[in-house]
Amino acid sequence: MNLTSKPLAVIIFIILFGGISFSTAMGWWATESTKEPVTFTEGEFAGQYNPADIRGSYTFGDVENSFGIPSVILAQAFSIETDNPAAFAVKSLEEIYAASEFEIGTASVRLFVAFYNGLPIDLSTDMYLPENAAVLLKKRTLTPEQITYLEAHTVPNPTASSASDSPEPAPAQETESAPEAVTTPSASTTESSTERLVKGKTTFQEVLDWGVSQEIIEQVMGAPMPNPLTKIKDYCNEKGLEFETIKTALQVEVDKVK
Amino acid sequence: MKIFGKQLFRPRSIWIRRVVQWFFFLFIALISVNHTLVESGGGIPFLSTASLHALCPFGGVVTIYQYATVGTFVQKIHESAFVLMIVGFVLAFLFGPVFCGWVCPLGTVQEWVSKLGKKFFKRKFNHFVPAKLDNILRYLRYVVLAWVVYVTATSGTLIFAEYDPYFALFNFWSSEVAVGGLVILGVTLLLSLFVERPWCKYACPYGAVLGITNLFRVFQIRRVESTCKADGACSIMCPMNIPVDSVKTVRDHQCISCLECTSEAICPVAKTVVFNAGGIK
Repeated sequence: MNLTSKPLAVIIFIILFGGISFSTAMGWWATESTKEPVTFTEGEFAGQYNPADIRGSYTFGDVENSFGIPSVILAQAFSIETDNPAAFAVKSLEEIYAASEFEIGTASVRLFVAFYNGLPIDLSTDMYLPENAAVLLKKRTLTPEQITYLEAHTVPNPTASSASDSPEPAPAQETESAPEAVTTPSASTTESSTERLVKGKTTFQEVLDWGVSQEIIEQVMGAPMPNPLTKIKDYCNEKGLEFETIKTALQVEVDKVK
Repeated sequence: MKIFGKQLFRPRSIWIRRVVQWFFFLFIALISVNHTLVESGGGIPFLSTASLHALCPFGGVVTIYQYATVGTFVQKIHESAFVLMIVGFVLAFLFGPVFCGWVCPLGTVQEWVSKLGKKFFKRKFNHFVPAKLDNILRYLRYVVLAWVVYVTATSGTLIFAEYDPYFALFNFWSSEVAVGGLVILGVTLLLSLFVERPWCKYACPYGAVLGITNLFRVFQIRRVESTCKADGACSIMCPMNIPVDSVKTVRDHQCISCLECTSEAICPVAKTVVFNAGGIK
């Protein structure tokens, strides 16, 4: 059977776009990670979305969809001036706050969302929020522990050169407490704001590549290391380990290698 | 063109292939631009906003190991790349590497640059590399393939993105592009002035994978010896320098199924160089 160019062109289109259509119909076609965080599996908040699973690839709109916090509020909290706050990617915060002494990024959004909605979040690690976010949170109902944590982890808003001014500057009286809170963060966190950061996407292989031995990783995990290509966060979720705790312990080991 | 049943003008190239190439070039370019626009709050309605990694079938190939051992995809790779990999294999099993010859926008851009090279160098074009060296270099892409698969499997990250000229071609305006990718893209385009499809011939790891299907694909390029005038036109025309006039069936791992050697294009004798499935009537 001979085949010429025109039928071949048609067949290429049919197989290519037919394959895509078929996989879409079967639910196999995905061009990005799902923007739906995992839910709490037990306790008072079972079934609700867990802010600890917010990823850098999420937009403020994705956060709004899952947690009901308006994108405008999120933009205000992080001093983002944009016509379309829903499209703002959480990961962009790190660039905007690059000049900040303390890391403002995805973890900051997780913290803000948890406090804003009264959801539990592990506070054993240092996560920082800008003044505007702190002002907004102080208007919510916080526990004494959360207030203490917030006061110790508030940093100045970004300067005009690195980000636009706050869309709604916080009242002077309310922001007064921020400067003294800025002095408290530990130096170790400053060191960790480099490329070698243990994050949600970090694999065991990356930690090995950064010079931490398998033995030390296993000591931290308290269990044999799985396949090195496994994401640490996935492994923690699977084994019921607290990712934030493991992350911090591994980060300490990574920093030791430097 | 036919007048009173007589062939007065016979097309010298497979024009429909050019149309398909243009379509996919524009399609991927628009999606890539849209991806950038969406990240900055804009976007073109009704058009995919996928990243280029999500639309590259080679992403599926490099993530096979991790998927088999851990059950997850390499960072930046999604299910769509896996689907496209399978579609690419189906096409290649039936027709050979048509993805390279008809779809891949990087191959298309190299062909465009090569048109300039043909004008400058005439018959010397695509014959600069000594045959012996060329024969060896043709296997370099399998070394690249082995390296990419190895480093991806051991690191779990898409290290090839740092060097990928295809990614650089459609992301040169974004901060995501790596200098290594831009340099390799520049070198590729420069070499395209002297050699047809230099990246495809010597370095493309996905072309290496698909090229293997030339050994067993269903539809093959075949030369009918009884009607062949042995004028060598098919070999001269072949962008991949395959000596079509010296074989009965083209099984060269570099064939991209462009059909430019067939009787539909350069071969002056009807039904002499054909694209057919031997056993299928």
